Amino acid sequence: MPRDATVTVGLAGALVLSVAVTVTIGPADLSLGTVWTVIGDHLGLTSAGVPLLRDHIVWQLRLPRVLGAAAVGAGLAVAGAVMQTVTRNPLADPYLLGLSSGASLGAVLVIVAGLGAGVGALAGGAFLGALAAFALVIGVASRQATLTPTRTVLAGVAVAQLCAAVTSFVIIWVNEPHATQSITFWLSGSLARVDWTALTYAGPALAAVLAVVLAHARALNAFAFGEEAAATLGIAVTRVRWTLLVAVSLLTAALVAVSGAIGFVGLILPHAARFLTGADHRRLLPVAALSGAVFLVWVDTAARALFDPRELPAGVLTAMIGVPAFVILLRRREVRG
Amino acid sequence: MRVRALRPRWRVAAPLSLFLSAALLAGCADDPPAPPTATASPVTLTNCGEPVEVARPPRRAVTTNQAATEIMLALGLADRMVGTAYLDDQILPGYADAYAKVPVLAEEYPSKEKLLEAEPDFVYASYASAFGDEGVGDRAALGTLGVGTYLSPAGCAKEFRPARLTVDDVFAEIRDIGAIFGVPDRAAALVADHKARIAAAAETVSGAKDVHVLWWDGGTDAPSVGACCGSPGMIMSAVGVTNDFADLDGSWTETGWETVVERDPDVIVLVDASWDPAAGKQAFLAKNATLKDLPAVVGQRYVTIPFSATSAGVRVVLGVEALAEGVAALPATASR
Repeated sequence: MPRDATVTVGLAGALVLSVAVTVTIGPADLSLGTVWTVIGDHLGLTSAGVPLLRDHIVWQLRLPRVLGAAAVGAGLAVAGAVMQTVTRNPLADPYLLGLSSGASLGAVLVIVAGLGAGVGALAGGAFLGALAAFALVIGVASRQATLTPTRTVLAGVAVAQLCAAVTSFVIIWVNEPHATQSITFWLSGSLARVDWTALTYAGPALAAVLAVVLAHARALNAFAFGEEAAATLGIAVTRVRWTLLVAVSLLTAALVAVSGAIGFVGLILPHAARFLTGADHRRLLPVAALSGAVFLVWVDTAARALFDPRELPAGVLTAMIGVPAFVILLRRREVRG
Repeated sequence: MRVRALRPRWRVAAPLSLFLSAALLAGCADDPPAPPTATASPVTLTNCGEPVEVARPPRRAVTTNQAATEIMLALGLADRMVGTAYLDDQILPGYADAYAKVPVLAEEYPSKEKLLEAEPDFVYASYASAFGDEGVGDRAALGTLGVGTYLSPAGCAKEFRPARLTVDDVFAEIRDIGAIFGVPDRAAALVADHKARIAAAAETVSGAKDVHVLWWDGGTDAPSVGACCGSPGMIMSAVGVTNDFADLDGSWTETGWETVVERDPDVIVLVDASWDPAAGKQAFLAKNATLKDLPAVVGQRYVTIPFSATSAGVRVVLGVEALAEGVAALPATASR
C-alpha cells in the first residue's frame, strides 16, 4: 500500500512538473522568465507586462494546449482501463464502441460539406458522430435491456467498419485534395486546436466521469472476476455496465471532439498502469489517469517542438514514443492483473 | 496536394528503354533545344527522366489538369486537341472560346478506356496522378500503344523535379510543349511576354526584400503555408518578397500558429479557393484569440490570391501580378 501511494503521489508531482516544464518549450524562443511572468500576470501574482504577442503565445497557445494534453491523456487512459475491465477484453480501448470512427465520419462530413473550417463546427460534428455511432452500437448490441460484453464488442467492431467505409467513400467521392489534407491531419489526432473554450467542456466532462468511475472502483474489481462473481458480490451487473459504458463513451466523445482520435494512450497505458500498481481499480484508475496525462503532455510537446518549424499531429507520435517505453516496462515487470 | 502524391515510376519496359536511351544519346540530355523552324522534324527531349520522342507534331492531343490545358490553349493548339479533362477552376476567359471547341472527356480523370476512345496520339498532364491508377494508366503502357506523353516537370517524381521551382521551369515547360507541337516561335513569344510582365510587376514593389510574407493556403489547426520549393515559393521569389517560411521543405507544409506568431509576418497571403474561401480565413484570423493581435491582422495587411494562380502554367504571371499589386497597394510598413 505505501508503495502504491508513492506511485500516485510521485505521478501527481511528475504531472505538475511536466506542465510547468513543457509550457516553456515550443517553436517560439521564449525565456523561462517570460513564460512564467505571463502566467504570473494572468493569475494576478505579478503585473510585469509582456508584449502582447508573447503573452498570447504562452496564455492562448501553449498553456491551454498543455492542459488539454493532460486532460485528454488522463481521460483516454481511464476510459481505456474501464473499457478493458467492463468488456473483459485486454484489447479494448476507449474507441471500442465505434466512437473514433463515428467521430471521424462526423468531422469528415463537416469538412466536405464546407460547414466552415470553424473549430466549433468540427468538434460538434465529431461529437455528434461519436454519439451517433455509440447509440447505433448500443442499439445493435442490446437485447431486452441487457448488454453482454461479446455482443457489445462485436457491434462496436461492425459499426466502426461501417463508419470507416462511409468515411473512405466520402473522401474518395469528394476527391478534394485540400479537404482531405485537413481530414488526414484531423484523423491522426492532434492537440493543436485546444483552446480555453475546448477546455471548458473537456475539463468538466473529465472530472464528472472520473468521479463516476472512481465511485464504481469496487464494482470494477468485482467485474474482473467475471459477471457471475460480481453478481454474487451484490453488484447490479447490468446497471453498472450500462452506467460505466455510457459514462466513458460520453467522455471519449468529448475528448475525440477536442483532439481527434489519438491512439495508443487508451489501449496501452492502462496496462502500464497495471504493471505499476496492480489490478485494484481504486489505485489503478488514478495511476492510469496521471500516467496518461504525463505521457500525452510530453508526446504533444515533442510533436510541436521537435520538428520546429513543422508541426506533427500528436497521434502520429504516441505509439512511436510510447511503444519503446512500454517495452522497457514489459521487460522489467512481470505481467500482473 | 496532388503534387505530394507522387510516386516514382520505373515501369518502362527494358527493351523500350534501351531503344529510347539510344535515341536519347543521339539527342540531348537535359536542355532540349527547340527546333528552330521545321515543324516536321523529330523532337527528342527528356521529361521526368524519361525520354520523349516525337516523330512529328501530335495532332490528336489530350490534356488533363488546368495548367496543361491552358498552356496548350495559350499556344493556340486547340485544333490539335481531341479532349481535355480535370479542371480545378474555370478556364481563363481569354481561352474560353477555344476551350469550348474541345470535347471534355471527364470531369476528373478519364478512365483509360475513355481516353483511348478519343484515339489520342499524345497525352499531356500537369500532375503525376494523371498517369496513376486513378488516371489514364502509366506512361510506358501508353507508349507501347504509340501514345506519347508529357508530364509537367513540377509534377515529376522527386528526383526529377526541380529542387526549387522557379518561373524558368514553367517557361521551360512551355518551350517543351512548343517544340513538341512544332510551334517553338509561339512558345518563345509567350515566354518573352510573361517574362516582361513579371519583371514589370516586380518593379512596382519597392523594398520587396524587406516584406516578409506568410502564404496561408489553409488549415486552422496546423496552418498549411507556402514553403520553399513549390508554386507559392516561386511566386514570392519572382516578386522579390521574403517568404517567411522558406526554411520549410516542400511546396505547402504544415507548421504551427506559435511559429507564425513568432515570425510575425508583414503581409498574409490568403489563398482563395472554392473549398476554403479567403473571406473565411480572414474571419478566422479576426476571431482567433491569439492571431487577432498579430500586427498583420490588426492592420488588415492581406493579399488575396486565387488558388488557381498556383497552378504552374500560364497563370503564374497572374499570381505574380496579383501578389505584387497587393503588396504595393498596402501602406508601407515600419521596417524591421
